[in-house]
Amino acid sequence: MINLFFTWLFNKLDASSLQRMFFFIEIGIIFSHFMREVIHRSAILLKDLRQQILTFILLTIAFSFFITCIVSPFEQLYQLRTNAEGQPVSYISLFITNLISFIPLLLIWNAIYFMYHFIIKTRKQEMDTIKLEALVRQLELNTIKAHVNPHFIFNSLNGIRALIDEDPERARRAITELSNILRSSLSAEKAETVSLQQELRIVKDYLALESMRFEDRLKVEFDIDEKTVNNPVPPMMLQTLVENAIKHGISKQMKGGVVKIISDIKENQHELLVQNTGRLNGFSKHTGFGIASTKDRLSLLYGEKASFEIKQLNEDLVEAKVLMPVVSTITRISAVSDVA
Amino acid sequence: MRAIIIDDERLARTELRKLLQEFPEVEIVDEASNAEEGVQKIETHNPDLVFLDIQMPGKTGFEMLQELDHAPTVVFTTAYDDYALKAFEVNALDYLLKPIEPKRLADAIEKIRKVSNGQSIQRNSVSFSPTSMLGEHDQVFVKDGERCWFVRLSEVRLFESVGNYAKVFFGPNKPLILKSLNALEERLDPKVFFRANRKHIVNLQMIEKVESYFNGGLLLELKGGEKIEVSRRQTVKFKEMMSL
Repeated sequence: MINLFFTWLFNKLDASSLQRMFFFIEIGIIFSHFMREVIHRSAILLKDLRQQILTFILLTIAFSFFITCIVSPFEQLYQLRTNAEGQPVSYISLFITNLISFIPLLLIWNAIYFMYHFIIKTRKQEMDTIKLEALVRQLELNTIKAHVNPHFIFNSLNGIRALIDEDPERARRAITELSNILRSSLSAEKAETVSLQQELRIVKDYLALESMRFEDRLKVEFDIDEKTVNNPVPPMMLQTLVENAIKHGISKQMKGGVVKIISDIKENQHELLVQNTGRLNGFSKHTGFGIASTKDRLSLLYGEKASFEIKQLNEDLVEAKVLMPVVSTITRISAVSDVA
Repeated sequence: MRAIIIDDERLARTELRKLLQEFPEVEIVDEASNAEEGVQKIETHNPDLVFLDIQMPGKTGFEMLQELDHAPTVVFTTAYDDYALKAFEVNALDYLLKPIEPKRLADAIEKIRKVSNGQSIQRNSVSFSPTSMLGEHDQVFVKDGERCWFVRLSEVRLFESVGNYAKVFFGPNKPLILKSLNALEERLDPKVFFRANRKHIVNLQMIEKVESYFNGGLLLELKGGEKIEVSRRQTVKFKEMMSL
């Protein structure tokens, strides 16, 4: 299209005949496509800017020569161009005039072509950067959200307000528990791992608050092997699993249910289980983030050595299971010898 | 105003009761801790006002409302719920965020008092029990995906049968409700709602134009532009009603 326009413009300025115009249009279309093909094949657009400009100028001159070489004999043959006296011009002067007129034409065509691609590329890069930034922000936000559910915070605060009259002592304790949870969720991003013991303290505070809300609808059981309490775990991971157990399990049950937390060592791995009353149906849709983030965190920390799964254990019991390496002095030594 | 509080957390109910002590005009007649209980208690007490939690075990507050033939005036209470809040913003339903701010509660009650004063004359003329006919001033709760509405029956121009569901036409919306056309017909006031054919019930006050149709039937054009054919049998009935 661009070429067509320029050919037309060029012709008009030259005040030429219709025949010549068609001739030029055909030549223009064929050569601009040919040139485009060359640009594509040599992948010039992917090179850096200085190289692009250099190739662009060289390409223009080379093609002008090329076109002139082809066009001039034709013009000579059909006597398309005449001088002021109506006599056919000599081949040399025809060649030179053609060359001089083709160079600026191709220069403009190429300039537009490169400029267009340059702008498109810059804009795409800008868009990509913005998208990436938004994604990072979203991810950060999601991690925080996944850690403490605002529904829980506000419901707890509402419960505490009711308790202030009913049981001031319990209300005071509840505020301490809530503070602990909020504080640890804020610092969770900083530490890579915490000891299970530390994590359990938060989980206990959390469950105490949920018991305040659910009252006799929530029963909590712990079965913690003493050998595991010092094993490092990702911060707020167990907390997230317990929160999901309440949100998707207990809170959906009219009569409530049990949340059981088990920690032990099985086949030289640290096994962490969260069991809750409830059913798994339609689960993945809502906890997509909880499950995905748990898996991501585990694989970032331990690679292939850790695993996570969630399944229906029996009729009305759901189990989330995390397997992690036992990090002790012995395994550290064996890890070193593995490398060696 | 007689009110019922529906919330699964006892402490939340206690807290709301306490806040409502400031409003002697609101009398709390009962409480419920889940949707099932809620439906029962609404049907026995027929309250003027319901404070309803959205997240509850079993059924949500929205699902509970969809089960009721006649929706009471509702103020939703919720702690934090992206999904539900979106529905509220779209339709400007009244809701309170827990922990409830006393000022917001006062505003909500004031608003309801104003609305109910305007309607009390019309309401008193109809004997009011849950099994009675639904009049044009009664409202139903309709939910369609993320959006939900309290729709006054006087605003509904057409019910269309779609399998076991009925499509409710009002304003620019036409969401589905899980009720058969036959069940609806039994409950709707026959002075206002007319069964035009097997698939449609029209609101007589929403008819824009009546044209005769082939086979001696009629074609009704509604205010929303829908054209509804009246079956031959119903045409006789329609003419009778209209000539009165």
